[in-house]
Order: sequence, then structure tokens, then C-alpha cells
Amino acid sequence: MSYERCDDMRWKKFLLILVLVAITVWSMAGIDFSIKEIVSGMGEVIRFITVDMIPPDISSLFDLMQPLLDTIYMSLVAVVVAAVISFVLAYLASSITTPHPILQIAARGVASILRTIPDMVWVLLLVPAYGLGTLAGTMALLIAGVGLLTRSFAEALDEVDKGQLEAVKATGASWLQTMSRAVLPQFLPQFVSWSLFGLDTNVRSSTMIGMVGAGGLGFAIQSGIKLFQFEEVTMAILMTVVLFIGIEMITTKLRRRII
Amino acid sequence: MSEIVKADGIAQPILTVSALKKTYKDGTVALRGVDFTVKAGEIVGIIGSSGAGKSTLMRCINRLIEPSDGYVYFDGIDVTKSNKHQLRYVRRQMGMIFQSFNLIARSTVLGNVLNGRLGYMDSVRGALGIFSKQDIEDAMSILERVGLVNQAHKRADELSGGQQQRVGIARALAQKPKLILADEPIASLDPVTSENIMDYIYRICKEDGITCLINLHQVEFAKRYADRIIGIRAGRRVFEGRAQDLAQDVVQEIYA
Amino acid sequence: MSVDLAKKEMPIGQPEPSGVEQHRNRTNDRYLLWIALFSIIFFIFALQQLDFDYGRLISGTRELPLMAVKMFPPNFSEWEDVLRSVAETFQMTWAATLLSVVVAFVLSFFCAANTAPSRWMFWFLRGFAALMRAIPVLVWAIIFVAALGLGPLPGVLALAIHSLGMMIKVFSDSIEEVDQRVLEAMRAAGAGWLQMIVRGVLPLVYTSFMSWALLRFDIDLRYATVLGMVGAGGIGWQLIRSMHMYELHDALFIVMVMFAMLYTVEMMSNFIKKRMINANGL
Repeated sequence: MSYERCDDMRWKKFLLILVLVAITVWSMAGIDFSIKEIVSGMGEVIRFITVDMIPPDISSLFDLMQPLLDTIYMSLVAVVVAAVISFVLAYLASSITTPHPILQIAARGVASILRTIPDMVWVLLLVPAYGLGTLAGTMALLIAGVGLLTRSFAEALDEVDKGQLEAVKATGASWLQTMSRAVLPQFLPQFVSWSLFGLDTNVRSSTMIGMVGAGGLGFAIQSGIKLFQFEEVTMAILMTVVLFIGIEMITTKLRRRII
Repeated sequence: MSEIVKADGIAQPILTVSALKKTYKDGTVALRGVDFTVKAGEIVGIIGSSGAGKSTLMRCINRLIEPSDGYVYFDGIDVTKSNKHQLRYVRRQMGMIFQSFNLIARSTVLGNVLNGRLGYMDSVRGALGIFSKQDIEDAMSILERVGLVNQAHKRADELSGGQQQRVGIARALAQKPKLILADEPIASLDPVTSENIMDYIYRICKEDGITCLINLHQVEFAKRYADRIIGIRAGRRVFEGRAQDLAQDVVQEIYA
Repeated sequence: MSVDLAKKEMPIGQPEPSGVEQHRNRTNDRYLLWIALFSIIFFIFALQQLDFDYGRLISGTRELPLMAVKMFPPNFSEWEDVLRSVAETFQMTWAATLLSVVVAFVLSFFCAANTAPSRWMFWFLRGFAALMRAIPVLVWAIIFVAALGLGPLPGVLALAIHSLGMMIKVFSDSIEEVDQRVLEAMRAAGAGWLQMIVRGVLPLVYTSFMSWALLRFDIDLRYATVLGMVGAGGIGWQLIRSMHMYELHDALFIVMVMFAMLYTVEMMSNFIKKRMINANGL
């Protein structure tokens, strides 16, 4: 009996490995991918980076300041507005605070659609309406941000201490009063913390969405490549990396302080 | 004791519970038809082992939990049939004290006491925390009464357990209640603090003529502080009477 | 029954929270206030600096529902092309994740503090990994497209580089969590470096490597859907093409397919994560 089960396990394992190998072969064939391609491709890439991109063009620092600031501005404006919208949506989406189950399902559904569609796609869809530039970028970050923050906020609201809620309800408080006097004080630190996380995410996304025409550092990188100004591109990439690290350091430090 | 009016002197029933039943969604039967009346000014202790349905009973009275069947009459109002508006009116007259205090941890002590006024206020003003000068003065004098006036502006979670429960009492008092529902008010406290809290509840109810219903796990406390004792077992009332009538074998039956 | 009310004047049963904790609570609240205040001021400043065309904002927002209506119904007729690019996206993701997992698997033993053969190698590899994951996937993609031309190859390499940066870090971190005593015991028994890794470390880190690889597959697939927008293959390329030609019915179909694909994979990886957490008893 135990021998049979062992045999069965081995058989399953063998089948799994066979499937994985098959998928790998299919993938490699489908995209004409081989070790030779990787090696020659990487060789070409290393040549490109070392010859064409280095050294970075330090003199472009000044020109790149405005795109850098735009990236920060877009991220911040988007996260503030997204936080306000998500605040309302999350109250509908959390099982504890929702006034009606149908509203809860609707809010969760909307948030999950907004979150699952990548922000790059949102930019593409928004550019026809808002034109190229920071406006479309900010709106795309806003939409993706609402998706992210609504879910995070709703999860924070789900964890609100039910005893505190009960106590305020028992005084004869209305729904609005209970939300404001019992839920809000517990939720506020989470709200700020997740919004800071959203800012961090936005800064990362905003350099990416710039590449499809939404302004900021991503746009500078994209146009630098098109104009063959590769050393300036390197400078922009370095600034991106510094910006990421800086923002991440600030937001994690602040988040640790709050909670 | 002598200067305090004994409960037996007042005959008006303020609370009538009749055939109260509660079955939870998962099929658990918490209450199987409970009847009793409470006269105005009386302190009634409800005893029973954990899981006997004491907490459910208390929450059915102010409808934090919706009863499945039966009636609760409070001061001439059928609570079980009240609409939203009437329910607010009923709830604000019933102060509630909780086992785990249930203070808003990040709000101030004063803010917590003022929450007791929400039922009397316009919804929006209450939500924004705009309390009248009178309410704030009242809240401060209640805090003085429970000996916490110096802690008024501290955050509630900075206080010790006993102090937090006194804030809980103050919050209930801010409602100017006719009835106090105390759900295991001392179950999270050490013996000395427990006695202290029970003293507060007893004194305040007797001084202000507030009717009080207390869930207690410990029979000793119930015997000492309650005018009358109701024993609950498996969702049914199995004893009702004065403390001295609660014989040892009855206690055993309740907790069996 | 008798209660002596004058007996005791409010003894405190439980100890007061320490002064440090009180101080911490209060500074937390003050930080919250400062952050809120600062963000409002900076928000206004940023809004002013961005200098949006508010007329455009209003007209654009009015246009959006019209556009959404125009997108309907989705055009399914190109389904063969779309399906082919879905397959390509999946193939790119699979190849990139596999490549990065294999390379990281080898390299991580050289840059975990407890198994690294030399300090120098530890710092070099760790720094390299940090750089690889600090540069966004799309930036890698755009560089690789510039170096290698359009197509899936630069996409796969860009994905692989970025995920290599993450996999090296998480793999070597899990190796570092291996109980030091196990390694010491093996060393004492005279095991060589390779023996120590294969017999001592590998069995202990196997499951955590697998779960990281699965998690990364999910992340890579998300990136792979948009790589095409900078010319690096996959379904993103289809979408940007149809948007540029303003074929909105096609675009809607592609977005729907993208959503279905990402949503399914997210559900699957959530399911697997839950099972792994249960299995590990964490």
C-alpha cells in the first residue's frame, strides 16, 4: 500500500517535470530563443552600454531637473487625490463599514479592475482624451492609485477593532457618527501609511508611464534614446535610481514612525 | 447601606424581556426564550458560565444583536419593533459598559466620554465632533466623579485597565442613562481593581437612581452587589431571586 | 450585603504604561499631523507647478465616457493575432523567469553571507543585483531595444535582468536564514563547499526558492504585458498599435484579454501562496 503510494507520487513528479520541460521548449521555440541568442545578445548589450552610454553626461543634469520635479509632482498630486477617492470607496468596500452589501461588491469590483489593468495601459487609453504630457500621466497614476489604495484601505478597515465600533453604536450614535468617532481614529494611521506607500509606487510608475508619453523622467529617457543622446539617457537613469532610493528611504522612515 | 433607597421600594418595571430567543446564522442557539422584568432603580446581576448566552442577552436588549424572536420593552417602548430613529432614542438612554472597555484607543479620555452624547446630537455635528459647551462641562464633571479629571486630555490607551473602565463608566454616564448594561465589566481586571470598579458602578447607580443590569462571571461579586440575581444556563433562565436565596446547589446547577 | 464605599480611595490595580510608551504615542500623532499638513501644502505647490490646462481636464473628462462608448463593442475578429501575442507574452515571461531563476540559483550561493567563498564576491554580486533591480524593467527594455532592435529578445533579456536582481537578493537572503549549526556540523564532518551546498543548504531552501519563483512569475507577467509598448514584443505591442491607429474596438478586446490574463494569474498565485503558507504552517 505504502509502496504503491510512493510509486504514485513519483509518477506525478515525473509528469510535472515533463510538463514544465514541454512548456520551456514551447516558449523557447515560440520566441526563437536559445543560449546562443542570449550570449550574443548580452554581448551586444554590454558593448552598447559600455561604448555608447558611458560616461553619463553630467552637464544634462540641469535640463533633467524639470522632468525629475514633474515626476515628483505628478506622483504626489495623483496620490493625494487618489487617497481621498479611495477613502470613500474603501468605506463602501469594507465588510465592516459598508452601508449595503451590493455597494461593497461594486466598490471591490471597480477597485480590482482599476488595479489589474496596468498603469501603462491607462495612459494609452487616456492620452486621446487628455493629450500627451503630465495631465494624462497624473490621471493614469490617479486611476491605478485608486485601485491600489481602495483595496489596502478596505483591508485596514476590515481589521478595525469591533469592540470600539460596538461601544459607540451602543450610545445611540448614527452611522455617520460611528464611522467618524469610532472607525476614523483607528483607520487614520493606516490611511497615512498606505498613502505614503502609494506615493512610493507612483514615483516608480511615473518614470515608466513617461515612456508612452506622460511626461517626467521616463519621457526624457524615451526621447533621449530616439535622438541617440545615449549619455544623457544614462544620466536620466542615474537620476531615476537616486530618486527611487530617496523616496523609498523617506516613505519607509515615515511609515515606521506612524505605526 | 441605610441611606440608600432599597430597590424593593420602587415598583415600576422599566425593562421587560419576554420569550427572547436568538439563533445565530451558523445555527448556534444562544437564547431559548428568556423572560424577566427589572424594576426602576434595581441592580440585577446575571450569572452563568461563559457561553450561557449572557452577552447575547445584553446585546439583544439594545439590539447590537438582532433577537430572532420575543420582545424587549423599555420604558414603554417595544425595542424589538423600533425603527432606526426610535432605536437611537432607546440606545441613548441605555449606557453600556464592556468587558474590554472598548474605548477609542487613539482618542482622548474626554473625547471618549463625549461620545456618550452622540445619541442626543445632530448626526453631522456629532460626526465632526462639535460638542456644546454644556456637554463638555458635564463630561468634565463626570470625569471628576470617577477621579480622572487630571487625565482628561490623555490618550485613552495610555491609562491602566482600571482607569480605562472608569472612562467606560463615564461614557455611559454622559448619556444620562435610565439603564446601564454592564457586560462583564470586571472580567479583564485584577481582584482589587475589580472591587473598585464594582464600587463605582454600585454607588453611581444608587446615587443617581439608575437601573442596572450586570453580567458577572463570579458569583461572589453578584451576591455582594446585586439586589436580585438571575441565573442563565444554555440560553434559559434557571434561577431568579435575592442573593441570599442563591444556595450552593443552585449555583452548582447554573454552572454545571 | 454591605459595601463600604469610603474604604478605599481609588487604588490603581494595574501598572501605568511606561513614560516612554506615552511619549511614543504622542509623537506618532504629531507626525501624522505634520505629514498631513506638509502633503496639503506640497500638493498645492505641485499642482501649481504642473500648471495643468484645466479646460483640457474638463473637456477630456467629458470625452472619456464618449470614448468608452465608442470602444464598444469589442472587435473579436483579430482573435488569432491577439491569441498569438498572448502566447508570446507568456513565452517571454516563462523564458525570462526561468533564466533569472537558474542564474540566480547559481549566483546566490556566492553572495549569501554564510556560504560566500569570499567577501569580495559577496559585495560585488550584491551591489550588482541592487543595481539591476533599481533600474525599472521598461528602462532596461528601452536600452535593449536600442541595442538589439525590436522583438521579443530584448524584452526577455530586460525582464530577466530585472528579475535576476530580485531573485539574487531573495535567494541569498533565504540561504542566510539557514541554521548556521547545520553548516558547522557538515564542515566539521569534512564536507567540501559543494557538498555542503548540495546536501546541507539546498534541501532547506528548496520550498522558499520555489515560492519566490512563482511570485516573480506573476510580477514578470505583469511587466511582460506592457513591454510591447516600447517595442519589446508581447501583447503590449498589439495594444499600442491599435491605439495609434485609433482602432478602438480592437483596443477594447485587447484590454479585456489582458485583464483576463492578469486576473487569472493573480488568482492562481494567490491560491498557490495560500497553499504554501498552509503547508509551511506559517
